[in-house]
Amino acid sequence: MIITRWLSYAVVLAWSLFVPSVSAHKASDSLLTLERNGAELRGQWDIALRDLDVAIGLDANADGKIEWGEVKAKHAEIANYAMSRIVISAGDKPCTLSVTEHLLERHGDGTYAVMRFIGECHQVWADTMLNIDYRLFFDIDTQHRGLLKLNNNGHTRSAIFPASQPRQEFKVNQSDATQGFLDFVGDGIKHIAVGFDHILFLVMLLLPAVLIRTDQGEKGWVPVTTFRRALLNVATIVTAFTVAHSITLSAATLGIVSPPSRWVEILIAVSVVMTAIDNVVPLFPAALHKRPWLIAFGFGLIHGFGFAGVLQGLNLPRADLMLSLIGFNVGVEIGQLALVAFLLPAAYAIRARSIYLRVVLTGGSVATASIAAGWLLERSIDFQFMPF
Amino acid sequence: MQIKLNRNAVGLATLGIWLLISMPSIEAAPYIPATDGEIIDQSTSNTGKAAAALVRETRRAHAVLNQQKNNLDLALRIAQHNMRRARIESDPRYLGQAEAALAPWLNQTTPPVSVLVLRANIRQSLHQFALARLDLEQVVAREPRNAQGWLTLATVAQVTGDTATARKSCSRLTGLTDAAVQAACTSAIDGATGRATPAAAALTQSLQSSRRLNREQRGWIATLQAELAERVGHIDAAEKYYRQALALDPRDAFATAAYADFLLDQRRAGDVLKLIPAATDSDILHLRRVLAAHDLKLADAAAMADRLAMRYAIARTRSDQLHLREEARFILHVRGQPAAALALAITNWQIQKEPADLRLLLEAAVAAGQRPSADIALAWLDGTRLEGRAMAQLAAKARRL
Repeated sequence: MIITRWLSYAVVLAWSLFVPSVSAHKASDSLLTLERNGAELRGQWDIALRDLDVAIGLDANADGKIEWGEVKAKHAEIANYAMSRIVISAGDKPCTLSVTEHLLERHGDGTYAVMRFIGECHQVWADTMLNIDYRLFFDIDTQHRGLLKLNNNGHTRSAIFPASQPRQEFKVNQSDATQGFLDFVGDGIKHIAVGFDHILFLVMLLLPAVLIRTDQGEKGWVPVTTFRRALLNVATIVTAFTVAHSITLSAATLGIVSPPSRWVEILIAVSVVMTAIDNVVPLFPAALHKRPWLIAFGFGLIHGFGFAGVLQGLNLPRADLMLSLIGFNVGVEIGQLALVAFLLPAAYAIRARSIYLRVVLTGGSVATASIAAGWLLERSIDFQFMPF
Repeated sequence: MQIKLNRNAVGLATLGIWLLISMPSIEAAPYIPATDGEIIDQSTSNTGKAAAALVRETRRAHAVLNQQKNNLDLALRIAQHNMRRARIESDPRYLGQAEAALAPWLNQTTPPVSVLVLRANIRQSLHQFALARLDLEQVVAREPRNAQGWLTLATVAQVTGDTATARKSCSRLTGLTDAAVQAACTSAIDGATGRATPAAAALTQSLQSSRRLNREQRGWIATLQAELAERVGHIDAAEKYYRQALALDPRDAFATAAYADFLLDQRRAGDVLKLIPAATDSDILHLRRVLAAHDLKLADAAAMADRLAMRYAIARTRSDQLHLREEARFILHVRGQPAAALALAITNWQIQKEPADLRLLLEAAVAAGQRPSADIALAWLDGTRLEGRAMAQLAAKARRL
């Protein structure tokens, strides 16, 4: 403490004015957010009113208070001042920036003027360099900094512009887009891996795939005779499920339909309960038992809405909705195929043993039905009591 | 250059935190006020006529400076004026404005000495010690009889642990300034290098022969005396000096913080809450309140801590390192995360090496059970022979790691 005080009083001797600041305030920053939207550039720039007041004088009556009317009267001046102090170039040519909206925002250390703007760039700024030349306030405040957030295909980059580094260059190429796509593939895989309800539903459909439902044999099941037959069963089921959930996933993500998520969740639980019970006590008509892919398709439509809920939670960049949608779907598919690759050979190998019928199919279905019934109750009364 | 790179690296790292904090607020719908008359902000941290006058004065001065771009006197006055505002309004924003007023002269190959001294003080208050030192070395090389230059150089050198340069700079003050000021310069160094008792005696003696000190200087010296007394275990004397300092200027945040630390060490957390008002605008004082509330296990201790954490997060967004020491202390004592606190304490130690920084490093190393980090602190402690009971107890614990 001694030394810090010492610092403060060093100058006091000469000017009797200086103590290092001990403040709840911070030095001046502006927050610049840029977003690529196809070839278009969208931006938001938050600039502290306190700084603008120093630069162009907002407090017209100099009463120490800034009123909305005072700011509104200066909107054009604020836009001119700020926009003449930034140059954003795609490739070699500067983009034309135009302010579309003036708003306010309260940040931690005061109120900021918010300008939303769009930029028209001569070059499509995919696969090019984005140059930013930031000069705001450096002439009146050497400690000012521009804090940039650059959103490109769902990827956020950040940078700081201090007075010593007003010009910076950012690569915005396709690899970012590819990376975004791969991320969504990952999200899809993850969702299948941790989405217990989807896994159980698939398992309930896949367990009987190595069997044939008849009037003979133990409890009406006989094993398939060839692996080819089992594989064909599985392939039709998985394909039908995929087609179905792709349809509803796309429809929901593109905003064509938007069923209430609570009902979707409840119906997903219902789908698992019904499919599981059907493996023990036939519920569905015989026509469906001959074509289990129809069940997969029907319920797949519901599961698709469930996936859409997840995808919306990921905050998709509008510009690349289709790409991320496909990525997510591919991820879900990979997850499903991994499950099949693991399950099918094992099930096929022991399909003829009584343990498969009694323990795996019957026991597994009963257990699954109980779990799913629990979900059903949870989701119906909107109260979570189960650990998964 | 190295400093600059380092600062940028820290900046990029901390920008992530900004994103986390500001993302919701950016998306939390910017708004448009209902009426034109709605007051949306203040153009100054202080309200009232005096502050408004200050605003007008600043604006007029800037306008004149724009007309007379070569008017050095005016630029110096504007810079000093902004530094005064930084102090009055507790707002570092004005430091950058002070420096900007000097920009035309700072861009010259040989800026005027008066400009360099001012910039050095701006830089050290932003904890840019290495840059401040560059300015000061230029000042004293060009004007060997510049008392202000030597004094600030002594300060910057001691903060960064360069005791030899600090001592040499103090000795250059002979005949250039009041004897008590020079004695204080030297006593601060002696007090941190195992000679707190003679340092205190020398300071007391020099005060008897000096009558030209102003109120602020007397307050500063009283705090110095309090800290020296505290260091050698004279608790009653320390308390008396702290109260003396606060009587001279009750709003002195540095004296208040030092006294609060003393009270916390004496397990008098209740007195800390009485000393510092809840509405304090100062982060360093707020930390003391949070530490006290934590000690007393108050019901709203957690809420107070969260508010302070938010303030640190905001301060970190721009990669300034003004709060490293306070934040490390907060994370260690309030959050109870020794590993995270130690990381901050080590970074802080690379920047400044005051006794408080040493204690923090040692405390964090002991709490985290990290002997290698403790060894850094122990080596420094052995080298400087810094006194103090708390420090000795900590060192004993560290040696058992």
